[in-house]
Amino acid sequence: MKKFLITTMAAAFAAVSFASSLLAEEKTTLVVGIGFQDANNLDPHQSPSVVDKALFNWMFNGLVRIKPGQANPEFIEPDLAQSWASNADGTEWTFNLREGVQCHHGYGELTSDDIVYSINRAADPDRSGFAGSFKALKSIEALDKYTVRVSLKNPIPSLLGLLSNYHGGNIVCKKAAEEMGEDFNKKPVGTGPFMFEEYQSQQLVRLKANDDYFRGKPKIREIVYRYIPSDASRDLAFASGEVDMIFGKQDSKWIERTAKVPGAVVAVMEPAELSTLYLNVTVKPLDDIRVRKAIAHAIDRAGLVKLKGKAANREAKSIVPIGYLGFSEDVPLLPYDPDKARKLLTEAGYPDGITIKTIHTTLPIMATTMEVVQAQLRESGINLEIEPVEHATFHSKIREDLSPVVHYAAARFPVADVYLTNFFHSRSTVNTPTAITNFSHCSAADAEIDAARAEPDVNKQKALWQTAQEKIMADVCGIPMIEALQVWAYKDNLDLGYELKGNLNLAPTLTEASHFKN
Amino acid sequence: MYSYIIRRLLLSVVTLLAVLTLVFFLVRIVPGDPAQVILGDHATQQAIEALRNRLGLNQPLYQQYWDFVSNALVGDWGVSMVKGTPVFDEIVRVLPLTIELTVVALAIGIVVGVPLGTWAAVRRNRLADYAIRVVSLLGLSFPAFVSAILLLLIFSIQLAWFPVISFAGTGLGNHFRSLVLPALSLGLIMAAYVTRVTRSSMLEALGQDYVRTAKAKGVPASEIIWRHTLRNALIPIVTVVGLFLGVQIGNSVLTEIVFNRPGLGKLIIGALSQRDYTMLQGLMVVYTFIVVIVNIITDLTYGLIDPRVKYE
Repeated sequence: MKKFLITTMAAAFAAVSFASSLLAEEKTTLVVGIGFQDANNLDPHQSPSVVDKALFNWMFNGLVRIKPGQANPEFIEPDLAQSWASNADGTEWTFNLREGVQCHHGYGELTSDDIVYSINRAADPDRSGFAGSFKALKSIEALDKYTVRVSLKNPIPSLLGLLSNYHGGNIVCKKAAEEMGEDFNKKPVGTGPFMFEEYQSQQLVRLKANDDYFRGKPKIREIVYRYIPSDASRDLAFASGEVDMIFGKQDSKWIERTAKVPGAVVAVMEPAELSTLYLNVTVKPLDDIRVRKAIAHAIDRAGLVKLKGKAANREAKSIVPIGYLGFSEDVPLLPYDPDKARKLLTEAGYPDGITIKTIHTTLPIMATTMEVVQAQLRESGINLEIEPVEHATFHSKIREDLSPVVHYAAARFPVADVYLTNFFHSRSTVNTPTAITNFSHCSAADAEIDAARAEPDVNKQKALWQTAQEKIMADVCGIPMIEALQVWAYKDNLDLGYELKGNLNLAPTLTEASHFKN
Repeated sequence: MYSYIIRRLLLSVVTLLAVLTLVFFLVRIVPGDPAQVILGDHATQQAIEALRNRLGLNQPLYQQYWDFVSNALVGDWGVSMVKGTPVFDEIVRVLPLTIELTVVALAIGIVVGVPLGTWAAVRRNRLADYAIRVVSLLGLSFPAFVSAILLLLIFSIQLAWFPVISFAGTGLGNHFRSLVLPALSLGLIMAAYVTRVTRSSMLEALGQDYVRTAKAKGVPASEIIWRHTLRNALIPIVTVVGLFLGVQIGNSVLTEIVFNRPGLGKLIIGALSQRDYTMLQGLMVVYTFIVVIVNIITDLTYGLIDPRVKYE
C-alpha cells in the first residue's frame, strides 16, 4: 500500500512538473482578433481594406518603408532598396536593391525583375485597385540584377511614399504571381518577416515566421489572425486570454473598459480618419454658398469630440487631415455659431430654416457621429433627414451621386495631394468616368492641386497646397468635423520591439524583433 | 408512401427554381456592387469597371441568369465573386457544422422541453406548473444574442470551462468543448418553445374521455401519461419542432457570430455584406432545400406517431 502511494505521488509530481514545463515554454504564437467577418482579398494590389492591410504589412516589403511605429513619410528608410537617387527635377529615380533577399516558400531570390513586375502590376487597372496612384509612372526598367530605374511623366509629391510598404508599393514575387495568376490571393507570396501558411474562410489566416528574412529570424514563430466580427466576443476573448491583440473601438468607453483588463495595453495611434461633411455645390439649396456656410457654422466640433471621447478623437482643422505633408492650420475654418448660421439662412431666403437630405450608412461608428451632427444642425434651423442604409449600399449610392450631403471618414497616404485630388479635384467627381470620391462636385482649386503635384520646389508646393485648402474651404465644399485615431489593445507581455506611434497599414507592425517577454 | 415522397421532392424542384429566380434578381436589385466592395474607396471607376468585366457583371442580365440556371441545374454553382473559390466547396465545408449545431440544439430542446411541458400539464396550476411557465416565458423573451453573451460571461470568463471563440474542427476535444455553449444557447430557446407547446397539447389530451376511462380502469398514472396521452399530444409538438427547425437555422446566424463558429449563418452574413452574388444564390438554394426536407420529414413523422395518417 505504502509503495503504491509513493508511486502514485511520484507519478503525480512528474505529471505536474511536466505540465508546468509546458506552461513555462516560451510563448511564440501571437493570436490577433480583428473585427471583421472575413478577409476581403489577400492580394495586396487589390484590397485597400483595413481587414487585409495588417496581414500585408507583416508579409510584404516595399522598395522603401516607413520606420516601424511611425505613420509619416518623413520616416522613410531603406527596405528592399539599400539606396536611391533621383535626377534634379525628380522624374528619374534609380534604386539599388539589397542582395540575397529571398521570396517566401522557395520562390527564389528577389531581383530587379520582381520589382519591375510588381510595380507594373500595381499600376495596371486590370490587376490592381491602386492603378490610379501610378498615373505619373512612365516606365520602370531593370538596369541590372540589382538596379531598377523608375521614370515619371512628371514629378509627383512623394514617389518614395508610393513605393513604400503600403498599397501598391508592396512588392510581390514575380514567379509566384505569374504562376498563380488570379489565385495569387489564395497564397500571397512576398519577402516579409512572416509568410502565408493557411486561410480558413471566416475563421483565420495563419502566418509562419520566415526564417530567411533578410533582417533576421523573427522571434514570433506563428501569427494566428482571427476574424471575430462580434465586438462583445472579441473583447471577451481578449479578457479570457485566448487572443493577445485586438482591433479596438474609437470610443472612450471602450478604451477605459479595456485598459482595466489585467495586463492590457491600449494603443491609440496615427493615422487619424478625418470625418468630413461633403456638400454637393451643384444642387439646391446647397448651391448657395450662404447655405453651405450656415451649415458649417452650425457644426460644433468641440461638442462632437466631447461626445465621442477625447481619448481617440480630436477636432479637425482643415479639409486635409492633421499632419499630412502640406496640411495647413492657417485656413478659414468657420467657427460654431448658431446665430450666424440662422442669419445666413435668412439672408439666403430661408428664414424658416431648410431641410436637406443625406444617405448614410448604418455602420455604428459613423452613424453615431451623424446623429450628433443632426441634433447640432437642428439648433440652427437645419433639418437633416437621414436615410439610413446598409454599408455597401451607402458606398454605392453616394458614388451614384444620390446623396446631396455625404458624411465620409477616411485616411489616405499622408500627403495633401492624395486627399485633395481624391476628394476635391473636379476630375474625381462622382458619377463620371474618372470618378474617385469628389462628392461635393468641388472645382475650387483644380489649378492649384495640379500645379502643386508637378512642382519640384518643396516650399512652392506647400504654398500651392495651402492656397488649395484655403480656396476649397472658402467655397465650403466640405466641412471638416473630427479626426478619429486607430485603437488597438494588446497584452503587456508582448514587446513589439519599437515604439508604437502609428502605422499607415492601420495595425501595429510586427517585425522580426517583436516577441513575448517571459 | 414512396410515391408520396417522390411527388413531394418533384414539387420541391419547382420551389427551388422559384427561389433561385427570386434570389438571383433580388440580390441584384439591392444597391451595392461586389467590385466596389472588393476594391474599396481608393479605386477609380476604371479599376472597378475592369473588375466588373472580370466578374461577368457587365453581361446582360438575361445572359447572367441563363448561365446561372443552366449551370446550377447540372450542379455547378459557380465560384464566389469575392473569394474565387467554388461556392459548392465553401458551403459543403461549413454545412456539417451548422447541421451539427442545429441537431444538438434540437435534441436539447426536446429532451428538456417535452418532460418539462408534460410535468407542467400534469401539475396544472400547482407550483411546478407556475415555475415552468415563468421560466419558459423567460427563455422565450431572451434574444439569442443576449443569452449567448451571458453564457460566455459565466462559463468562459468566470468559470473558464469553455473557450470564447470556437475551435470547431480542430481535434475532437476542442470540437466538443466549442459546441457546448452555442448548442445550449440555441437549445434552451428551443426548449422554452417545446415546453409551452407540450404543456398546452398535453392539457388538451388529458381532458379527453379515454383518459378518464383509463383512470377508471385503474391504469397507472405514469402509463396513462407517457404511453397514451403524450403520444396523442405529439402531433402539434412535432409540427412546432419542424417549423422551428427552419427558424433555428436562421437563429444560428446570431449564434455563429457571437461564438465565432464557422457555419452557414456566418457565410451568409459575409456574402451579404460583400455582395457576393454567387455565394448568396448558392446559400439560398441550400436553405430552401433544408426547409423543404425538414417539412417532408415532419409530414412523414405524423404517420409514425398516428397510424390513422395516410399518404396518398
